[in-house]
Amino acid sequence: MRSIILLLLLLASLVSTAQGNLTISGYVKDAATGETLIGANVYAKETMTGTTTNTYGYYVLNLPPGKYTIVMSYVGFEESSQVVELKADLKLNLDARTKAIVAKEFEVVGEKAKNTESTQMGTVELDVQKLSTLPALLGEVDILKTIQYLPGVKSNGEGNSGFYVRGGGPDQNLILLDNATVYNASHLFGFFSVFNADAVKNIELIKGGMPANYGGRTSSVLDITMKDGNDKEFHGQGGIGLISSRLTLEGPIVKEKSSFIVSARRTYIDVLAKPFINPEGAFAGSGYFFYDINAKANYRLSDKDRFFLSGYFGRDVFDLSGSQPGSPNFKIPWGNATVSGRWNHVFGPKLFLNTTAIFSDYQFSFSGGQDDFKFGLSSGIKDYGLKLDFNQYPSVRHELKYGVNYTYHVYTPSTVDVASGDTEFDIDTPSKLRAHEAAVYIQDDYDVSDELRVNAGVRLSYFAHVGRFKEYLFDDAGTATGTRDYTPGEAIKTYYGLEPRLSMRYKTGATSSVKASFNRNLQYVHLASFSSIGLPTDVWIPSGKNVKPQVAYQYAVGYFRDLWDRKYEASVEVYYKDMFNQIEYKEGTQPQDGANTNYDAFLTYGKGWSYGAEFFLKRRLGKFTGWAGYTWSKTMRQFDEINEGREFPSRWDRRHDISLVTGYELNERWTFGGTFVYSTGQATTLPVQRYFIEGRVVSQFSERNGFRMAPYHRLDFAATLKNKATKEVKDKLTGEVTTVQRRYRSSWTFAVYNAYNRANPYFYYFTTEGSTATNDLRPVAKQVSLFSILPSVTWNFQF
Amino acid sequence: MKRAHLLLLVPAVMLLIGCEKEITVELPDTPEQLVVEGTIEPGLPPFIILTRTQSYFEPLDAAAISNSFVRGAVITVDNGNGPVQLDQLCTSALTPEQRVLFSEITGLDPALVSNADICVYSTANTALFGEVGRTYDLRIEAEGKVLTSTTTIPNPVPLDSVWFQLAQQRPNDDTLGFAWGTLTDPDTLGNCYRWMARRISRRANGSVEDPTFISPLGNTFQDKYVNGLTFDFSFIRGRQFYSNQPEDENEEAGFYKVGDTIAVKFVSIGFNEHEFYTSYDENVGSQGDLFGNPVNARSNISGGLGIWAGWGVYADTIICLPQ
Repeated sequence: MRSIILLLLLLASLVSTAQGNLTISGYVKDAATGETLIGANVYAKETMTGTTTNTYGYYVLNLPPGKYTIVMSYVGFEESSQVVELKADLKLNLDARTKAIVAKEFEVVGEKAKNTESTQMGTVELDVQKLSTLPALLGEVDILKTIQYLPGVKSNGEGNSGFYVRGGGPDQNLILLDNATVYNASHLFGFFSVFNADAVKNIELIKGGMPANYGGRTSSVLDITMKDGNDKEFHGQGGIGLISSRLTLEGPIVKEKSSFIVSARRTYIDVLAKPFINPEGAFAGSGYFFYDINAKANYRLSDKDRFFLSGYFGRDVFDLSGSQPGSPNFKIPWGNATVSGRWNHVFGPKLFLNTTAIFSDYQFSFSGGQDDFKFGLSSGIKDYGLKLDFNQYPSVRHELKYGVNYTYHVYTPSTVDVASGDTEFDIDTPSKLRAHEAAVYIQDDYDVSDELRVNAGVRLSYFAHVGRFKEYLFDDAGTATGTRDYTPGEAIKTYYGLEPRLSMRYKTGATSSVKASFNRNLQYVHLASFSSIGLPTDVWIPSGKNVKPQVAYQYAVGYFRDLWDRKYEASVEVYYKDMFNQIEYKEGTQPQDGANTNYDAFLTYGKGWSYGAEFFLKRRLGKFTGWAGYTWSKTMRQFDEINEGREFPSRWDRRHDISLVTGYELNERWTFGGTFVYSTGQATTLPVQRYFIEGRVVSQFSERNGFRMAPYHRLDFAATLKNKATKEVKDKLTGEVTTVQRRYRSSWTFAVYNAYNRANPYFYYFTTEGSTATNDLRPVAKQVSLFSILPSVTWNFQF
Repeated sequence: MKRAHLLLLVPAVMLLIGCEKEITVELPDTPEQLVVEGTIEPGLPPFIILTRTQSYFEPLDAAAISNSFVRGAVITVDNGNGPVQLDQLCTSALTPEQRVLFSEITGLDPALVSNADICVYSTANTALFGEVGRTYDLRIEAEGKVLTSTTTIPNPVPLDSVWFQLAQQRPNDDTLGFAWGTLTDPDTLGNCYRWMARRISRRANGSVEDPTFISPLGNTFQDKYVNGLTFDFSFIRGRQFYSNQPEDENEEAGFYKVGDTIAVKFVSIGFNEHEFYTSYDENVGSQGDLFGNPVNARSNISGGLGIWAGWGVYADTIICLPQ
């Protein structure tokens, strides 16, 4: 490990020599809150050379000595400029001021347009501020549901926060919260994601052309950065909604040096539902709620060193107790916890280092029973990790990123526990699975010429499944012959591989460019799912002796153009993706089957592929903002042991996908939002024939996913009414009236979900009606829909 | 084992909304297949019901069900002494009393047996009656197809005891409960079992409460985790597919009741038969279940669907006494 770091430093020093320019570097911050701004534009007006701030709000500009007007621009903030005389390296921290009236139409001149300038393809950043004005299910603003409105991103179904990117599975999305991996980003049934939007500063989604600094997943990256907290004064915000309430507090610990933010949320469905549950009835004593807490603190030691400590803790608690047979008692607690500690260090103006120590924990357990019979199931995953990420700006043409990361994983596969009375069933506690995962990467964002910019990188990743581990041995006939015990640290299976990443942009005009990307990604963990929707019973499985790492190749080309004075951004992207070593459970496997055998005994392996075209048009400035997206795509899977080896559409195959998202700021007080989505119906497997055994109807199923449910479409509206930002104060002595900012702000959001009351299919099921006694028995198909038209109101406040 | 489909109740409870409606689904034409439901028990002749698959949405009235039975098949069973052809027996040729008996033996819905013309294949040849430990080869020729299968009658494993016990989850109720058994599993791995039961006590009108044996969901299990152990287990009262009895609709559903007399059949089966019955159970139990994966029943018939099973039967009786 040490030699790798040395090698990286050596590489960096080689590149950084022989450049004659001086640098201007520093942080860009929101003047009001002290929050660093991610992705702000900083450029010199004279040369029109510029850059954007990194995840920590840090920027570096390389310029020859001279006099420059340095301009900072960022959507929603006043453009600011200042003149500097550059004679030596200069430290320049920039403060950004919020626009007094955001709704004013304005033009941006000279700003480096990200859409057509960057080499990034398939990358979207979302404005968290805007999310609260969009309609949301039951008034609960949800990041994961908002990204589903983007082309190439598909929802897992009605009201579900699970998402699928370009034909990849839910396990193929790398979800990072302040650099820590979040394994299950949903609360129960996926109706709500674990991210509390009040605590989030920035959201970036990478659908394709994944840069080399990200790895371990084959499909996408969702990088979420939490707010740092206001370092100037104490503030709070919160909301009271139909099913949950939120409260966020932030403020300085040491003024302009250190700040904190704490954000908490709890649902009260259990409290609300209690009066409706008959205390004598089948579900007496049942309840469900979740809560989550985000917290973060940071300390600025100097301009060179800054420390962050952030954490997330969330739990779902679901109890079901019934008095009827077949409705036994359940207890299902589960949840995530993540902690990440980070240290930013600026070595010199050109070299920035971020060191992160990470702990991530996901746990699921289930215990239930009926009379003397007790049944328990638990699984989980724990990560301990360390990352070193360098950003280097050796010259105005190069931006280098390189680093190394390491994670120690401990997986608990489905652990079953069964007892009847005093008799404990003979079920071994399966081995925990332990693994080392590591990677080194280097990439350069290089301006080859004014037209051509290339981002080339490579990642070398390594994964080893190590002891302690108990392997069950079987002979050729499948009879158990014994076990083999691996000692702690003993290598059981090791994998490594190169992951080349390349993306490039060629400017075809002042406001247009063509981009292309290729990447190979390796993924060493797999999510095995027992059911057709994501459930907490889904189990994370590492690569090992029989389970090979997932491999994906993605090829994409796109045309990007800014239209009408850059008020609009437009793009068309076409992609093709190949996925190998995909896993599924063999047909008919149940969660409890995993006992007394190897964790991979019920898995089967196959491949997948996906291709499609994505069209995107976004209006980014003005009173009226929003976007329209359309995706045409096809996603297939093929497994030798599923569907008799024939290829079948993936669960996430949707031929057409349309989304419209609009926002309109009428005036200082009223904002309106509207969304519309349409997508091809979900693929599902339905019975085609039936027969009788022992007097019961047995279904004979179609090809896997051989049917389409009815298309999904829905229209939502929201209106937000804010109180005035300012108030008039009359001086008692002079009678003079002055306008001052209000300290307390509040708003009401009124929303209607599913405005035209479309009965969208959630699932289909088949049953019979009538009886043989009256000779009118017939099978019928039923469609279950979840949410009819649903109005909601949420009250939000800020102080 | 209780299944996760109960989780489905949560969104319903949670959101107090959601609706369902009947829809029309266009199914593709799929070639029909022959389906075997055949069993052989010690001391009894083989019984074979031969049907064909039907399109899922065909009505389930008596005419359609009559049509699904395959007539005129040539079926032989060979116990090692050469194949013996079975006779076709159709309900149209039976008296009403014989039909009741027919229903009891075959497990078919008595209403169906009296409404529809149903045929089974069996024999009065005692040489072919089931014997423990013996293997039986089945061969069927019908409608231009040939189906074959093989099964063995395993040694029956007796239950140490069976009894009725009040349900713990109803502390204020002294009438409803479950059927319990104690099993000592033999020390050899690979024993597979099915539990089936019927109430043989009579209703006010004189009819037997359960006209046939019923296997409740989850009735099939193996000794993978209980090999050589002695343990207690319980089962709820199963429900006939066609039942419209009040005790299957009200709060007594799934419970036995003080005063019931229960005939218990504890059946030992082979591993392939276990594979069929568990997947069959899963298939039947997951109908309408969002969380279930679509699973076809894993047949042991080559050339068709269904099951040919030797049953090693242990029989017992429970009288549900007040406690």
